[in-house]
Amino acid sequence: MIRKRLLRHRWLLLVLAVALAITLGATGRESLSRAQEPGLETTEGPSVSGHVLDPLGEPVHDAEIVALAGGGQETVAETASQGDGSYLLDLPQGHYEALTIEISRPHFESHEIELEPAAMSRLNAGQPVRVEDVTLERRITAGFWVATLSFVLVLLLIALERLHKTTAALLGVALVLGTSFVGGALSPDLFIFDFERALSYVDFDVIFLVLGMMIVIAVIEETGIFQWMAYQAYRLSGGRIWLLVTILIAITAVASALLDNVTTMLLMAPITIQIALTLGLNPLTLLIPEVLASNVGGISTLIGTPTNILIGSYAGLGFNDFLLKLTPGVVAALVVLVLYVVLRYRRSFAAAGGELSDAMRQRLKESGRITQPAKLRKAGTIFGFMLLLFVVGDTIHLVPAVTAIMGAVAMLLWVSPDIEEMLHVVDWTTLMFFIALFITVGALQEVGLISIIATGIGDLVGDNLTAAILVLVWSAALLSGVIDNIPFAATMLPVVAYLTRTVPGAESGVLWFGLSVGAAMGGNSTLIGASPNLVTAGISERAGFRITYLDFLKVGLPATIVTVIVGTLWLFIRF
Amino acid sequence: MNKILCATRGGEASRRTQEAVIEMARQEGATIVFLYVVDVEFLRLTARGVRPDVVSTEMEHMGEFLLAIAVERAQKGGVAAEAVVRHGPLIEALESAALEQGADAIAFGRPAGVESSFSLSDLEAMAARITEDTGIETFIV
Repeated sequence: MIRKRLLRHRWLLLVLAVALAITLGATGRESLSRAQEPGLETTEGPSVSGHVLDPLGEPVHDAEIVALAGGGQETVAETASQGDGSYLLDLPQGHYEALTIEISRPHFESHEIELEPAAMSRLNAGQPVRVEDVTLERRITAGFWVATLSFVLVLLLIALERLHKTTAALLGVALVLGTSFVGGALSPDLFIFDFERALSYVDFDVIFLVLGMMIVIAVIEETGIFQWMAYQAYRLSGGRIWLLVTILIAITAVASALLDNVTTMLLMAPITIQIALTLGLNPLTLLIPEVLASNVGGISTLIGTPTNILIGSYAGLGFNDFLLKLTPGVVAALVVLVLYVVLRYRRSFAAAGGELSDAMRQRLKESGRITQPAKLRKAGTIFGFMLLLFVVGDTIHLVPAVTAIMGAVAMLLWVSPDIEEMLHVVDWTTLMFFIALFITVGALQEVGLISIIATGIGDLVGDNLTAAILVLVWSAALLSGVIDNIPFAATMLPVVAYLTRTVPGAESGVLWFGLSVGAAMGGNSTLIGASPNLVTAGISERAGFRITYLDFLKVGLPATIVTVIVGTLWLFIRF
Repeated sequence: MNKILCATRGGEASRRTQEAVIEMARQEGATIVFLYVVDVEFLRLTARGVRPDVVSTEMEHMGEFLLAIAVERAQKGGVAAEAVVRHGPLIEALESAALEQGADAIAFGRPAGVESSFSLSDLEAMAARITEDTGIETFIV
């Protein structure tokens, strides 16, 4: 009965959900703005205020600030720095001969400020004193090595497939938090961060965006749209293989940009194999170009790759930023990719010859039909609205995570009302992976490794923006081929933020887009470089066509080099 | 020998196996059951939200397509053949399909270098285990 009523009034519920989400989005933005404002105001009476910064110029929170009088023997006031690095010491009224402000925090060298006679006079007159900003120098502690080695261990376990990604990331969390709580009690140098601080590193915009998109994609993927598109590519190409591969590359790139490149490949690969066999082609000659296109195509939107989701949330870049600033470069890279694969596989394409019966062609047609047209119409309508909201979201301060949640709720209410089923299809393991990864990378920030990397790269590139772009894009591309690009991108976010602040000309945001281009295109260089590569290889092997590491490298590495060159050139042209 | 079960896929190595089994069936006057086992274990390689049920259905369609090619090939060779798709771990799927179909023998293709997922010793061990479990003769062609 209740279910029937809910279904009858689902439009009303949908409207309510949309209104609620918009309200939450706007409220969230306001809260965020308020949270970012400097938190302390001066008070009546003698006080000392200032800011504590790290070597990157980032605010240092929770630093212990102590005012010492009597030659450093008597504590007269103490406080902790706020999220924006500011602090305010309210001093008791009285006469002070001298005052020392001592600032200390784990993983930093302690710093002392001796107040000048003029400042002492103001304090003794009951007036506030503002002291200079303090930059704390980093200190390598035992906790630094624990956090660093834990992260390296996580990367190795993922790269060598010794543990599931999520298990590996959770192991990293257990190591850094366990060391903080157990080791920290034995030695302060082993303390990394407390639980509350660890959770503050989790980016819930990312979590909710991924969660919402999972539900949306889960509904769309069962409609048969991917398979239908692949079949249409076969039909339209009329047996011309170069045209077929061009259309398949275009379809895969667009689907990867708008939905998700792993899902795209999982659903495109089986029917692509059937198309290839129908045409008498080795399926790898179509599958590998598709997977290369899926990694490149995803770059052009905020939701196209997990690395873009991470970058967009951290840097405050919206859907339009990626779409407008990267799409022309992505299109150029795809054109080059088409030329490359047609040249690379020209002999295989020329030797292709259909040998299957009409019955098999009919079977292929059956595989390429839309299985749930009614559901596709509804899901397509909602997804269209979502895209519209992603585009206008920047203007109305609607964060992408809220749009994704609104879309997911709309899918639940109108298209697929079984909440149990939908929650079952949400991959909680993936969400846990992101949460654990944020905490593990947060530990690196806490102990100062990120700071060391950032200043190291900063010293290397100096004030040269061209050098910064080249170093970032190509190191991201190179490393993404050998380590998982999601942890890599998560680690690089504060580094890029530092370079964006310090390298002249980088304020245009070019380095964020450089990270996006390098991390995603670099995934094409090896079989383990990106998730779509691995799942495509999995499907292909189960069809009897194994993609070995070397097979992929031979095609993927040159493709990576040419597409990254195009991507780099585009960054220079656009910015 | 009346009925041979042949687990198969679609690559060149599978084609050689199919042709060998078709020839054997023709000589013995047997029929063939081509089996494709859907296995989505590879999904664990990605830490991304995917729906195993939808992927499994697509793999099933692909398996049916690959088996239809094998059946056509057998029919062209003058041998009656049918196709069966199973889900789950390979050995369990093979054993249940063989028993259900009343197969007298199970044929495996000899591993062919990097194309193969198995080594010869792994395949021999698997064949021996299936014979022990089901009492059905196994052979590698």
